[in-house]
Amino acid sequence: MARMKFLCDAERCIECNACVTACKNENEVPWGVNRRRVVTINDGSPGERSMSVACMHCSDAPCAAVCPVDCFYFTDDGVVLHDKDICIGCGYCFYACPFGAPQFPKNEAFGSRGKMDKCTFCAGGPLPDNSPEEYAEYGSNRLAQGKLPLCAEMCATRALLAGDGDTVSDIFRERVTWRGASGFAWGWGVAYNRPGIRRGYAVEDKATGVD
Amino acid sequence: MLWSLLLLFALTLLLPLIPYAVAYVNPETGGVPNPGSDLWRTVREANVGTTQVQGVDSGVLISEYGERWRQYRMQQLAPWGAMVLGAMVGIFVVYYLVRGKIRIEAGRSGKRVRRYTTTEMTVHWILASTFVLLALTGLILLYGRWLLIPLLGASGFSVTATVCKLLHNYVGLLFAAIVPIAFFLYLKDSLFNLKVDGRWFMRAGGYFGGEEPSSEKVNAGQKMWYWVAMLGGFVLIASGLFLDFTNLFQQGRDWLMGAHVVHTIASIGVIAFFIVHLYLATIGVEGALESMVGGHVDANWARQHHDLWYRELQAGQDRPEPEEGLAAGGTTHAGGVASPVAKD
Repeated sequence: MARMKFLCDAERCIECNACVTACKNENEVPWGVNRRRVVTINDGSPGERSMSVACMHCSDAPCAAVCPVDCFYFTDDGVVLHDKDICIGCGYCFYACPFGAPQFPKNEAFGSRGKMDKCTFCAGGPLPDNSPEEYAEYGSNRLAQGKLPLCAEMCATRALLAGDGDTVSDIFRERVTWRGASGFAWGWGVAYNRPGIRRGYAVEDKATGVD
Repeated sequence: MLWSLLLLFALTLLLPLIPYAVAYVNPETGGVPNPGSDLWRTVREANVGTTQVQGVDSGVLISEYGERWRQYRMQQLAPWGAMVLGAMVGIFVVYYLVRGKIRIEAGRSGKRVRRYTTTEMTVHWILASTFVLLALTGLILLYGRWLLIPLLGASGFSVTATVCKLLHNYVGLLFAAIVPIAFFLYLKDSLFNLKVDGRWFMRAGGYFGGEEPSSEKVNAGQKMWYWVAMLGGFVLIASGLFLDFTNLFQQGRDWLMGAHVVHTIASIGVIAFFIVHLYLATIGVEGALESMVGGHVDANWARQHHDLWYRELQAGQDRPEPEEGLAAGGTTHAGGVASPVAKD
């Protein structure tokens, strides 16, 4: 069984924002919501690095732990999904998430946020796979079609990797070996170095460096 | 032989320290900067980068406080809050079983004295109903996942939680409006009188044996509840409005989590005190509830629990109003109560 993970290689990301655009187009996400974003550290200075970030589908997902209505669930591939029909839009998942992944279509008076929306690893939601209802609420379900998330598929520099954690970290380790430096799978320690909420997601880390 | 071995041993221990000594004497030589580790440190410290995506905290790669807030909510707030509130309820169950209802010792006199005005009662009940509604909806949102999902199912509880969230967010505004009014309305009666209230506190209000210490219109315990409810109320309002209107300052997560921590600690504290108030005002003390329902109390109740106030009333020729209770059979007691210095 695969354990799906994202990995962004900061030595390769060129901040083209194609992943952001691809995601938005593929999933028809609500206005004002971006499931993925690219953050640049030290912008314009030597040592500038960009990283694409979305939901990392954590093993011990903090969003699922704090949700007052328990609307999150985990697929067999370790993808963290949620049921929008149960979500009450309280924003607690947004507080708890280290990556700032949960997004809300509104930010209005009286705590009115609307239903939470986040990256689904292109795996849809609890509705029937690839049904129009699923598409309207959660966007594309590429995993059910045997495809990987479009953000990573679109990445021109192959900075963003998505797929089975073992394969992804093998690719990354090979790169690090070749360039002999900067072997840092950022976010992996936070996302995957904890025993999972459900048994079976305690994944030992195979990348060269974690944090 | 022995000395050379000891010397060798000492050197073995000391030699590895030489680089530290060099670094201490001359800090300039301390290591080559590592751009990689600098970058990851920047990421870990939640420094804000630049991003094309507009949104609250969108420049932060890894948030610093989310995990700590999760620990707070799941491992401290939920279990400790339940323990505090459960303990309060437990204490009063035991107290009721041991001490029972505090009766009017001299029996009802049949004469009633006015204790609260209509304004005081109206404000009290608006405050009470908004507070209870907010407390219940808040507790449901905190504990519903464990208590109500097994009963209602996930979809059923989702409806409940949606209603609770809406009520909590909107009724909060009403609470925010009524607390300042209540603050000024009850302030005069709730200022501590060191002599009287000090003695009341020293004897713990006579709740655990001994004579009930004398008190003014409002006893020291009630004054304490006033201050807890009002100051706690202001804290709840400030933090609550901050959480309610996230569009006001485009507050980031860190501020919201801080406000949530303040809001929840204050609410558990005020609800714990509210349990004391609820018990004593209803089943704990005979004849107490009617002061807030009809505005009148029995004269003997007033003399027993608020003797200084009662004497003041008598001295001010504010005679007990005879009402229908008198005709119903209170006549035999009437003589004893009508006299202004009935106490002692």
